[in-house]
Amino acid sequence: MNEALPDAHFFRHQYARLVAVLVRRFGVERLELIEDAAQGALERALGVWTRRGVPEAPEAWLVTVGKNLVRDELRRGARVVLSPEAHADAPAEPDAPAEPDAGHLASEAPDADEEESQLRLLFACASELVPERAQLVLCLKLVAGFGIRQIATRLFTTEANVQKLLERGRGKLREAWRGLPLADALDVDPARERARVGLVEQVLYLIFNEGYSSERPDAPLRPDLCDDALRLTQRLIARAPAPRGSTLALLALMHFLRARLDARVGERAQLVLLSEQERTRWDRAHIELGAACLAQASARPTEEFSRYHGEALVQAEHCLAPSFAATRWREIVELYELLERGYPSPLYVLNRAIALAEWKGPAAGLALLDERAPPAWLAGHYLFVATRGELERRRGRFDEARRCLTAAIESAPTLAERAVFERRLAWARAAISAAEGPAP
Amino acid sequence: MSKFLFIYRNPPAPDQKPSPEEMQAMFAQWGAWKEKFKAHVVDMGDGLKHGGKVLEDGKVTDGPHSEAKEIIGGYSVIEAASYDEAVAVARECPIVFMPQAKIEIREMMGF
Repeated sequence: MNEALPDAHFFRHQYARLVAVLVRRFGVERLELIEDAAQGALERALGVWTRRGVPEAPEAWLVTVGKNLVRDELRRGARVVLSPEAHADAPAEPDAPAEPDAGHLASEAPDADEEESQLRLLFACASELVPERAQLVLCLKLVAGFGIRQIATRLFTTEANVQKLLERGRGKLREAWRGLPLADALDVDPARERARVGLVEQVLYLIFNEGYSSERPDAPLRPDLCDDALRLTQRLIARAPAPRGSTLALLALMHFLRARLDARVGERAQLVLLSEQERTRWDRAHIELGAACLAQASARPTEEFSRYHGEALVQAEHCLAPSFAATRWREIVELYELLERGYPSPLYVLNRAIALAEWKGPAAGLALLDERAPPAWLAGHYLFVATRGELERRRGRFDEARRCLTAAIESAPTLAERAVFERRLAWARAAISAAEGPAP
Repeated sequence: MSKFLFIYRNPPAPDQKPSPEEMQAMFAQWGAWKEKFKAHVVDMGDGLKHGGKVLEDGKVTDGPHSEAKEIIGGYSVIEAASYDEAVAVARECPIVFMPQAKIEIREMMGF
């Protein structure tokens, strides 16, 4: 018995793992029951392990409890809500003790290919019968192991709405896969497969981004999530006979961003801006892997130029620049222009304005923001307001800078981002008092 | 030194089940509490299942019911020199960080 868990993200990983293993064993049409069983197994672990310590093989312990919870529920036949202790009420099966013992664990060794199970589940969720937003919510809960609240924050929606999407998604998933082995999810005709890989890429990108700029107020960076997404993307490439350029470009993008992740955090857990990062702290191995993936992704001339190609090329510019000052801003501006043409997004405009300000000065960046104003619902978003504030500060319009940065601080979701804006606000304030002269 | 019973009371069904990350955080809190107060925690106790039976005047009924505002969810046994000391242990118990949960602290007779 141990007192500690194997790692800091054990429960989240185990939830995703349990769902994948149980779906493979009992079928996706029992998804809701399986989710309850995975939840129940973790709740039971919390109760038992806090009292008796963590068993030698916690993964196998969880799989046994999870399987028993599903079996008991199936035997009961009725759809009652599972509670963590529910399985102990049902008559014990000879081969299924309520509490796993050491002898039993051998037969419940961790699934040899859990990542494959997870990937299958990702593809199953990407069925064209499931509405797109529900696909995303399902994947975040089942494959990333996110809580409802976390998903709601990430997708800018309410918890009730997330619940609704989950219910609808599960229903459609059941319709789509009733009686079919999940392996079929990976073998569909090329046109459908194309759409489905596109969605899987999108979900992996979203999981990675949650790690790179987490919405959790106390943890701005989550390297564990980045690594989850990276690993699944690698797996997606490894299993495809001819990996798609867009997937390779996505992997390149992830490597370039992952290379800089550790340098993004300072000694006091504050966010360190790109201009201030120590480039020697960047991970050369990730940069090289990124460059190799990007080269492969670009060697497929017949394929479309995906948004991941564009974003990876931008990040390559940053990673390969000798210093912030020596960054090829002109290339970055042009890449964002290219991205905007193929994939119109106010965020690309925002990023182009930031790069343009570095290349031609803050006035040019502000002019672009005025010319290509974001839709009304995004205009007040803290990222836009904060960028405007910083560019106004650099241009010397300190009152306007102060107004924008104050508004950005109020609506920034994480403490770390708020701290960045507060620092800039302090500079603006200092400039104002300097202009006004010493106080009487 | 006296023994105290910590009775954990909480609403019968939480509004929302904890996410995997929240459960891991709770696991860490319990571990830290046990370690910090290892001189006081005599028995971590157990959790209690929902539902039960009540025997009164020879009649058996089901209860407590799920409509009840709160139920006893579990208990622990603590050793402390005084109520003040027992309350100090309770203040840092992970139960108090759960929404709408409370701890009833009762000194044992010591029979």
